Amino acid sequence: MIALALAAALVVTLAFRKDSAHAVGREKVVAIFKTGAGANAFWAAVGDGVESGAQDFGFEVSIRAPRDEIYVDEQIGILREAIAQKPAAIVLAAADIHRLVEPVRDAKALGIIVVCVDSFLESEDADAKVGTDNFEAGQKCGAALLRDLRAATRDGKPRVAVMSYVQGSSTAIGRESGLRDALADKADLVGTSYSSSDGLIAYRQAKEILAREPALAGIAALNLPTTLGAARALVESGRQAEVALVAFDNSPEVMRLIERGVIRDAIVQKPFNMGYISMEEVRGLLAGKRPKPYTNTGSVDVDKANMFDPENQKLLFPVAGQ
Amino acid sequence: MRIRRIQSTLVRAFALIVVMTIALLGAVSLDFFRNTLVDSAKQSTMQFAAQLSRIVDNYITYMNDIALVVMEDEDVRAYMAAPAASSERDRSRIALFLGSIREVRKDIDGVFLVPSPRATAGATPAYVIASSPGAKVNPDYDFGRFASASVAAGLRGDSPFVSSAHVENMIDGRYPWVISLVRGLVGGDGSALGYIQVDLNYAIIEDLCKDIQLGSSGYVFILDKTGDIVYHPRQQLIYGNLKTERIPELLALREGFLTSEVDGRDILYTAKSSGRTGWIIVVVPYFSELLAGSRRAIYTFILLAILCFTVSVFVSSFVSVRISRPIEALRRSMQEVEKGNFDMDITVECSNEVYQLARDCDIAVKKVRDLIEQNRKDSEQRRLLELRALQAQINPHFLYNTLDSIIWMVELGENQRAIEVTSNLARFFRLGINRGSEIITIRTEIEYLETYLSIQKTRYKDKLDYEISFQPELYGSRILKLLVQPLVENAIYHGIKNKESPGVVRVYGEKEGEAMIIRVSDDGVGMDAERLDALRRSLSDPPVYEAEAGSEASHGGVGVRNVQERISLYFGSEYGLAFESTPGAGTTAIVRIPLVEESEP
Repeated sequence: MIALALAAALVVTLAFRKDSAHAVGREKVVAIFKTGAGANAFWAAVGDGVESGAQDFGFEVSIRAPRDEIYVDEQIGILREAIAQKPAAIVLAAADIHRLVEPVRDAKALGIIVVCVDSFLESEDADAKVGTDNFEAGQKCGAALLRDLRAATRDGKPRVAVMSYVQGSSTAIGRESGLRDALADKADLVGTSYSSSDGLIAYRQAKEILAREPALAGIAALNLPTTLGAARALVESGRQAEVALVAFDNSPEVMRLIERGVIRDAIVQKPFNMGYISMEEVRGLLAGKRPKPYTNTGSVDVDKANMFDPENQKLLFPVAGQ
Repeated sequence: MRIRRIQSTLVRAFALIVVMTIALLGAVSLDFFRNTLVDSAKQSTMQFAAQLSRIVDNYITYMNDIALVVMEDEDVRAYMAAPAASSERDRSRIALFLGSIREVRKDIDGVFLVPSPRATAGATPAYVIASSPGAKVNPDYDFGRFASASVAAGLRGDSPFVSSAHVENMIDGRYPWVISLVRGLVGGDGSALGYIQVDLNYAIIEDLCKDIQLGSSGYVFILDKTGDIVYHPRQQLIYGNLKTERIPELLALREGFLTSEVDGRDILYTAKSSGRTGWIIVVVPYFSELLAGSRRAIYTFILLAILCFTVSVFVSSFVSVRISRPIEALRRSMQEVEKGNFDMDITVECSNEVYQLARDCDIAVKKVRDLIEQNRKDSEQRRLLELRALQAQINPHFLYNTLDSIIWMVELGENQRAIEVTSNLARFFRLGINRGSEIITIRTEIEYLETYLSIQKTRYKDKLDYEISFQPELYGSRILKLLVQPLVENAIYHGIKNKESPGVVRVYGEKEGEAMIIRVSDDGVGMDAERLDALRRSLSDPPVYEAEAGSEASHGGVGVRNVQERISLYFGSEYGLAFESTPGAGTTAIVRIPLVEESEP
C-alpha cells in the first residue's frame, strides 16, 4: 500500500523533474573558424549553421577565429585558450593540417569532443569531420574549366593557371589535387600560386600571370578572396572573353561577376549545412552515439544559366535577415 | 490456513475501491479534458492562420493598389505607349514618381516599369524605369521572366500575377529577396505594352512570421501554390535538406489539419490558403505545448489521487480498528476460556453486534462454569453416597452375627460349613469393596446377592429362604453396585426376622420397555399404612446429603434413601424406588432403573 503511494509520488516527481531538466544543462561548445565571420560570407554562413544548430540542440556556443587564416599560431592560441575553459565540445576548422594536431590531442585527452568542420587534420584525431569533399569539388572545378575551355581553345592543350590560397590547408590540397585529377592530360597547368587568402595578393598574382601568359585559357581560383582578386585583374586586363575563370564559393559580388560573364562557373559549397551538421555531430557524440566519421556536405556547380533556379537562389543568396 | 486479519482486508478493499474509482474517473475526465483542449486549440490555431492569411492578402491588395495607381498615371500611360518617343525628362519625372512611392512605403522594395521588347526595339534595359533614382538596370537581366505571365494576367484585366519569394536582380549589384506583383499594360488596340512590377520587401513577410510565438517551439511557414517555400523560419535548414515538411500532403490538403511527428514530438499542421495568392499559410503548434494545460491537470490529478488514497487508507485503518478491536478483545477473552479460566466477565467496550456476541459468549461461559460446578458437586456427592452405601454394607451387626455364627460352627465341629461361610463372607466383601467400578453387571450383582443371602441363610437357617431370578437377557445389563443389597438386608431385618414362621426373600429382575424393574419382596410382617406413608415420604424428601443416619425403625431409613438418591443422581429423577406393603403379608421394594447394555459406561 505504502509502496504504491511512494511509486505514485515518484512518478509525479519524475514528471516535474523532466520539465525542469529542459531548462538546465546547456552544454558549452566553442567553434573556431579560420577567418572571422564578419569579413567573409562563407564563414558567416558556417556561423549561421552553427548558431542554428546550437539553438535547436540547446548548446551555448561561442564562435572565435584568428584575424586571417594564415595566422596559424593565433588559431593555435585560440584553441589552447578554449581548451583551458573546458567546453563540452570544440568545432574546429583547422588552418593547418599538421600544426593543429597536437592541441587537438590535448583537448581530447581532457575529454573534450572535437569535430572538424571544413578543414581537417592530417591525423584522425577528430571525433568527426564535416565538410565538402574537396577532391570532388576540385574535380567539378576541373570539369567546368574543360567545358568552358572547349570554346576558347584553338589548338593544342589549353594553359590553365591554378590560384590557391594557403599551402598546407587541407581544403586547398584537396581542391588542387581534384582539379589536377580532372585536367590531367587535357590541360597544361602553369604552376600554383598561393594568395594567403588575401584578395590584394591574389589580384597582383593574377595580374602577373596574365602578363606572363598571353595565351592563358583558364584560371582556377580555389577560394573566395582569391577569386575576387583574380576577377578584378581579369576585368582590368579586358581578357574575360578568352580567359575562363572558374571560382570557388559565393558572395553577391561573385554572383554579379557570373551575371557579367567574368566568372564562368562557381563551385559553391554548403557552409550553412557544414555548421549545422557539425552541431548535429556534437549532439550525437555528447549523447554517446557513434559518429559518422565523415560527412560530405557536397558542392554545386553554378553558372549564369542556373544561378536563379529556385534551388540555387536559396543557396546563393542569403535570405534577408538570416 | 493463513489467517488474514480483518484490518488489512478492510484497508485493502478500501484502497482497491479508491484506486479504481480514481483511475476510472481520471481516465475519463482527462480524456474529455484533453479532447476539449485539442478542439479549442485547433480552432484557435485555425483562426490564427486565417488571420495571417488575411494579413498576407492585405499586402497583396496593397501592392495591387500601388500598381493600379501607377497604371492610371497619364505620364506612365503615355510613356508605356511609346517609350522610344520619350525624352530624358519624361523618364526622370516618372522615375521620381516611382521613387516617391518607394520612399513613402519602406515595405516596397522597388517599382519597375518594363516596356515591351517590341516597343523598345530590344534595348529594354535602357527603357526600364526603376523606383531607385540613379540605379543602373542590370544589363544581363532576363526580361522574359515575367512577360508571359504578365500578359496573361493583364489580358484578364483584374487579376495580377503574384510571384513566390525570389531574388530580384533587376538593379545591377543588388540581390534582395522580394515578392513581386506584376500587372500587364494593354494598349488601346489590345496589344501588350509591357508590365509594371511592384516588389514587396521579403523582410515584411519574414518579420510578420518570425516573431510569432506558438509556445516555445511552434512556428509558421508559407508555401506558394506550387509548394515552393515562401517563408520558413528555418529556411536554411529546409534549403539544405536538413529539415523537411510534409509539403505534398499540405498542397493536397490546402486547408485543414494534418498531424505529424518531429524528433518524437507530435505537431499539428494547420493549413489555410490565401484567396489572393493561393499561398498556403501553415501554422505548426506542438501538441505537447497545446496540451500544456492538460499536463498540469494530470499532475494536479495525480496529487489529488495520492491525497485521496492516503486519506482512504487512514480512514479505512481507523474504521477497521474500530471493528476489529472489540473482536480482538473478545478473541483474547475466549483464549483465556480455552486455557480453562472460566472465572471472568467477558465485556467488550462497543455498541454493535460484537457487543451482543460478547454478551452471548459471556452467558455461555457462565453456563459452562455453572455446569462444571454442578458436575463437581454431583461427583462429590456420588462419592459420598457410595461411601455411605459401603458403610451401610459393612453393617457391624451383620459382621458380628456372621462371625458369631462362624465361631459356633467351629465349636460345634461344623468345620465344613464354617469354611463355606467364611469364604462367602470374604467373597462378599471382596465384591462389595472392589473399587474398580461403581457400575457392575447384573451377573455380578446376582453373584453378590447370592453370596450375601447364603451368609444370612447360614445364620437364619430354615427361617430364611430366598430366590433370585432375573430374565437371562438382563445379565449383561448394568446396575449401580450396592443398590439391591440394602433392600435385601431390609427385607430380612424388617420383614423376615420379626416373623414367627420361616420367610422367603425374592429378588426378581425383568425388562419393562426401556427400563429394568427389580423387585425385592418378602413375605414378612409388612407395614401398616402409616409406616408405609412415612417411608414413601422420606423417599420424596429433598435429598439431604449430610443427613444424620435415620432411625432403624423406618424400614431401612437412611439406607433406603441413599438408594433412592443414588438412582436419581445417576439416572435421573424419573427413575427411583417404590414400596408396596401389606401388614402381615410382606413388603416389596421396586427398583426402576434404565436398561443400559454392557459395554456402555
